[in-house]
Amino acid sequence: MRAAFLVGVWVLALACVFAQQPPLAKDPGPFLRPSDFPEDKVPKAVAGPAPHLPDGRPDFGGDGAWYPGFNGNIAETTWKGVKSADKHVDVPFLPWTLKTYNERVENRAKDDPEARCLPVGVPRFMFDPYPFQIVQTRNQVVFIFEGDNYLWRIVNIDPNGNTHPKNLKPTWLGDAVGHYEGDTLVVDVIGFNGLAWLDQAGHASSDQLHLTERYTRTDSLTLKYEVTIDDPQAYSKPWTASNTIHWRPGMELMESICQEDEKSSIHMIGK
Amino acid sequence: MKYCLLFCVLGIMHAQDLGSDGVWLPNPLADLASKVPSNAAVPFQPWAKLKFQENQAKRQNDLDLRCLPPGVPRIMLMARPFEIVQTPNRILFVYEGGAHVWRQVWMDGRAHPKDPNPNWLGHSIGHWDGGTLVVDSVGFNDRTWLDDAGHPHTEQLHVIEKFSRIDALTMRYDVQIDDLGAYTQPWGFSSSLSFRPGAKLVEDICLDKISK
Repeated sequence: MRAAFLVGVWVLALACVFAQQPPLAKDPGPFLRPSDFPEDKVPKAVAGPAPHLPDGRPDFGGDGAWYPGFNGNIAETTWKGVKSADKHVDVPFLPWTLKTYNERVENRAKDDPEARCLPVGVPRFMFDPYPFQIVQTRNQVVFIFEGDNYLWRIVNIDPNGNTHPKNLKPTWLGDAVGHYEGDTLVVDVIGFNGLAWLDQAGHASSDQLHLTERYTRTDSLTLKYEVTIDDPQAYSKPWTASNTIHWRPGMELMESICQEDEKSSIHMIGK
Repeated sequence: MKYCLLFCVLGIMHAQDLGSDGVWLPNPLADLASKVPSNAAVPFQPWAKLKFQENQAKRQNDLDLRCLPPGVPRIMLMARPFEIVQTPNRILFVYEGGAHVWRQVWMDGRAHPKDPNPNWLGHSIGHWDGGTLVVDSVGFNDRTWLDDAGHPHTEQLHVIEKFSRIDALTMRYDVQIDDLGAYTQPWGFSSSLSFRPGAKLVEDICLDKISK
């Protein structure tokens, strides 16, 4: 009886906490001109079947590069006036992540680490407007990025499972171990430092973040990206965001060094 | 005969193996002048000698301290491990530490662009000369140093690097510096790289150390 009473009290208390959660911060609205998104001017290539390597693994490379587009919010289908993630998610915020998210949206992302040339991080790399290429060897998948700080990311392939080294030092990009499941590259990532934003809008995470990424080239021009965000210190349950990334035939990566003449971040004063 | 051919081809392929499942660690070389033969000197243009002396005196001129890419060949001479990712049409150098950057060498027979946009790591094309990888790079900006000591260069810099794996754990690294804007004639040096089998790169973000 007493136990039931205590449970009841807790349920009520939790209900109060959640009932008092503030509403989600609103989309700040369009901030770029349509001409800043030259997507429509790119000649449309005709998609063929997804290529494979001689040994049957999916081939994520070729003569060209992947371009994610500008997807400022991994949980909304439009953000700042343009197409964003593939689907809307009712994000299971904990109170601190909701508060942090709202602050970041409302103060115009003034503290965005990416604007200070720090690593974009995962999964944001797959939603931000920086072209990238994927280079596969027998035992690794190497992502090379044009933008941010001309970064690289290595996924070590472990066909026997997802074995991470013990006592990982927390990092921006985490420790990534992958394997192939048919035509899908599945990447398990832990060991984050909790500092990177999950997207430009400002979804936060903790150092307990555990990501499961799934990369599937559904045809020669299309990469489906799905990421499950499991972070019990930041969200009440795991949630999944996704994006469709387009292939730009013939595109090469340019060198882009964010830290070169970086004079912008001091002007990011928020409001 | 068929098997012999296959064996020979595999043998050549093996010789052109830049090492996987491990990282390369340069034997650090801070001052290229220390490797120039004793009867020669670095063939400075007068202004370049003055610039070198200024760089020696003003270490704050070193853009590596501000987390900018060290440039070529300096990035191959610092005590920072890197991995070589080898594919048939492109070789990637992936560097731990510093600016966390990568560098690519095109192996598909293309030429340099006619008017490359000057950048930090240049435009690199490569070919195999037997078991030696020859990398030809142009298109550099003039902001990097050739080494920690502060040897300067201009946008005319043309670097030829030769990577020769002399055994499983050692790579000979020969470099020719060709920059008539800063030096009166081409000059060069040799260094070496050591392989660490099984080692992996770790994340080491330079800005973490200076932005706090």
